[in-house]
Amino acid sequence: MQSQDNTMTDPSNETKQAEKAKQKATDPAIEAGLERLTPERIKKTINQVLEKETGPRFKAYVETCMRCGLCAEACSYFLSNDRDPRFMPAAKVKNTIWEMLVKKGEVSRDFLREAVRISHLECNVCKRCAMYCPFGIDIAYMMLLVRRICHKLEITPQYIQDTVNSHSVTLNQMWVKDDEWIDTLQWQEEDAREEFEDLQIPLDKMGADIMYSVIAPEPKFQAGLIYQTAAMMHAAGIDWTMPSTPGWDNSNMAMYTGDNEISGRIAKAFFETAAKLRVKRIVMGECGHAFRSVYDMGNRWNSWVMPPFEVVHALAFYHELLTEGRITIAEKYKKKVTLHDPCNVSRGRGLHDKAREVVNMVCEDFVDMVPNREHNFCCGAGGGVINCGPPYKGERMVNNRNKAEQLAATGAEVLIAPCHNCHSGLEDIIQHYDLKMEIKFLGDLMYETMEKKIYKPGA
Amino acid sequence: MNRKMEEKRSWDWHTELTEIAFEEWKTRFNWVQAPRVSMDGERIAAVVNLDEMAFTVCVNGDVWEGEYEKVWSLTPVSENGFAAFAARDEEWTMNVNGTEWSNWCDFIWNMMVSPDGTRLGAAFQTDSEYGVIVDDVPWEDRYENMTGAVMAPDGTSAAVVQVESMAAADVDAFKKGVFCVARNGKAMDRRFLNIWDISFDADARNIACGVRTDRETYGIVQNNSVWDNRFESVWKPAFLDADTLLAPVRSGGKWHLYKNDAPFWANAYDQLWHLTISPDGSQVAAIVSSPFGRWTVAVNDRVWQQSWDTMVADIHFSADGSCLAAVYKHKEFWDLAVDETPWHMAADMVFVPRISKDGSVVAVVVEKQGQYQLVVNKRVVASGYRFMAEPVISPDGTKVMLKGIENGIYKRKIIGL
Ligand code: SF4
Ligand code: SF4
Ligand code: SF4
Repeated sequence: MQSQDNTMTDPSNETKQAEKAKQKATDPAIEAGLERLTPERIKKTINQVLEKETGPRFKAYVETCMRCGLCAEACSYFLSNDRDPRFMPAAKVKNTIWEMLVKKGEVSRDFLREAVRISHLECNVCKRCAMYCPFGIDIAYMMLLVRRICHKLEITPQYIQDTVNSHSVTLNQMWVKDDEWIDTLQWQEEDAREEFEDLQIPLDKMGADIMYSVIAPEPKFQAGLIYQTAAMMHAAGIDWTMPSTPGWDNSNMAMYTGDNEISGRIAKAFFETAAKLRVKRIVMGECGHAFRSVYDMGNRWNSWVMPPFEVVHALAFYHELLTEGRITIAEKYKKKVTLHDPCNVSRGRGLHDKAREVVNMVCEDFVDMVPNREHNFCCGAGGGVINCGPPYKGERMVNNRNKAEQLAATGAEVLIAPCHNCHSGLEDIIQHYDLKMEIKFLGDLMYETMEKKIYKPGA
Repeated sequence: MNRKMEEKRSWDWHTELTEIAFEEWKTRFNWVQAPRVSMDGERIAAVVNLDEMAFTVCVNGDVWEGEYEKVWSLTPVSENGFAAFAARDEEWTMNVNGTEWSNWCDFIWNMMVSPDGTRLGAAFQTDSEYGVIVDDVPWEDRYENMTGAVMAPDGTSAAVVQVESMAAADVDAFKKGVFCVARNGKAMDRRFLNIWDISFDADARNIACGVRTDRETYGIVQNNSVWDNRFESVWKPAFLDADTLLAPVRSGGKWHLYKNDAPFWANAYDQLWHLTISPDGSQVAAIVSSPFGRWTVAVNDRVWQQSWDTMVADIHFSADGSCLAAVYKHKEFWDLAVDETPWHMAADMVFVPRISKDGSVVAVVVEKQGQYQLVVNKRVVASGYRFMAEPVISPDGTKVMLKGIENGIYKRKIIGL
């Protein structure tokens, strides 16, 4: 477990500035939303959610918590903030949903301003604390309930709300227009033909074995990742396709703002796209929360107990490509690497051992961070936290000190982060704490080390 | 008799076997993309690569005249033909049977083909302005953003368009509603936060869609008005006839079917979508889930006895409404149920079934262990194919046309029933 003294100092000495920024940071969407609220609307909304949208699970959690504080040691926010008791998971509940319950929804705007902050910025719903609670109390679930209330009261932070607005219009999280999406795929296909003359990114291919799906930041900023995957698919001889229609983005920020209706709509479009194309399974890029959406939350709102298609995370897919010999490694990656276990694919889905096997097949020198696997500390960006945008970056860095220490202790030159949110969040940490590490996706290393030849069955 | 039936009747239902060497194309071109088969089965086509950045379409071994930097979305259309999007000098157009449309644009996508294959539409973008083009006639009005373009059988088109600019992350502007339905390019008056699933009635005189009126309030729009009732969510509405609109709506955490703004079906479901009305208008069906996690079909609010644990992908009526087929997945396998009776095929995939007009013949392509089979009324009539397009049932219901590739040869086979 984490040592109790947090010794890392903030090299850029921005902590104090960030603290200040934190006090000042006003979010126009939250402030305008609070302005519109009446005590009646607040009360009605809170009670509606508590009475109609919570089940026995909520009651049990609230009644069972002994305030023993065992969960505190689990939470990166608590550890990063010098064990400030207000960051204890149980305190987050006490200061939000518990108070709403006790006061029967009669809470003030100032209280709500704080509740938005706690639930959206001081908890990344990573569920780490639930592993340390003797009763398995799921604080993340309760923070999501608070977010649900904030959503209904229209006081969700601006940037993540904009992301959800984008989802609602375009079914992707970054306002990527339909033509931009297809154009990007065709452009990557064209570029990749420099390497593989007859490479295709087959669009809307009915009956393909695999539908490959990504999250919107890929076409928007990191189109090279699509190139890399196309190269792997081609070399491995996979019968695959990508949809030209909305439903290609597997991300789901609505799940994190409590907009369950839009979240369900996103998951519907996603799975129905796969059904329309008659594919057998879905492979998704390196993303953690998207996995949670399609595996847990978005599907259930639609009455799918389990996702209707097998959804294979990139980690597991790389494992398959390597163990089946469809992709062979020309020469292993030399630099010393470490691996960040994204909570949604590791704690949430148990893919950590597969991930290590892949890393070891691809890299020569792997060092684990401590703690690791399902006990890993969160990147501090997930759960929608980074999506709350630039206004909160300063405090996010403060809240991530603990993660920076964990990374520094590995002595690795390269950090592998197989999740987009983790990747962006960890990149910020590396810069802020001046960690002298490169950050990569596992796909970057797969592509870099693979033999650029076409798989022939039985060869 | 409609045009489609007439055309079908004129097709060759006598020649038992027509063969075209398809794999052999691979020796003529650098590479050959996924095959498509014409409606009448007489032609097989694929996008082919001739050279670096030089593509065309090969139909039965003959290539289209033009060479293009890119060609995509090859689709069968009427008159045994094919259409595709094609680009030259970074400009795009539609190419129908080798003939380019006169209009070119910066991008073109969302191929829309009327059921009889005679009308063609697409979404386009030029100079960052968006619109729909139907049969080479583009919308006069263009918009900065457009989603969900649709086309009615008569070529009437509509889409959701943005009528007011929004700065990045301007959640206030969004909250006021900046989206409208544009019909044949003309934006309608009402603005909403969101608009989804535009639907037309049979003659495309009436239009409907689902909307969101504020953060958590959803409604149904029928022409120029919004239903009075508001909901927690809505799915795609459908016209029963010109004056009657049905819509799946969510309230109290359950899904209900409404008709003209009032409850229609008595039952509430955990899910209710893919509202499907028989072509003769006599039956209303939907994919439903009830209880939570179980999937089945409801016809006129009566739920099928059987239910499945994974999903019902789509449902299809015969023209006379007497037969309903559902493609579903249960315990990892895909299957088909016809009028409540499962076929127990345990397939890796089941494609879209074809049903004769009177509902007596159901033909479907399935895939098992990488091989395609044609199954007619539960009987496997052909197997061992590497690819099959959807079959066609003869207008008199006595024959089925198989369109598939076996040992590298495309085969059009007429199979007597
Ligand atoms: S879910 Fe994660 S971030 Fe939230 S309180 Fe628990 S440990 Fe902390
Ligand atoms: S460990 Fe469990 S019981 Fe103890 S304070 Fe935390 S949530 Fe409550
Ligand atoms: S972004 Fe990554 S580590 Fe971070 S909260 Fe998500 S899955 Fe967890």
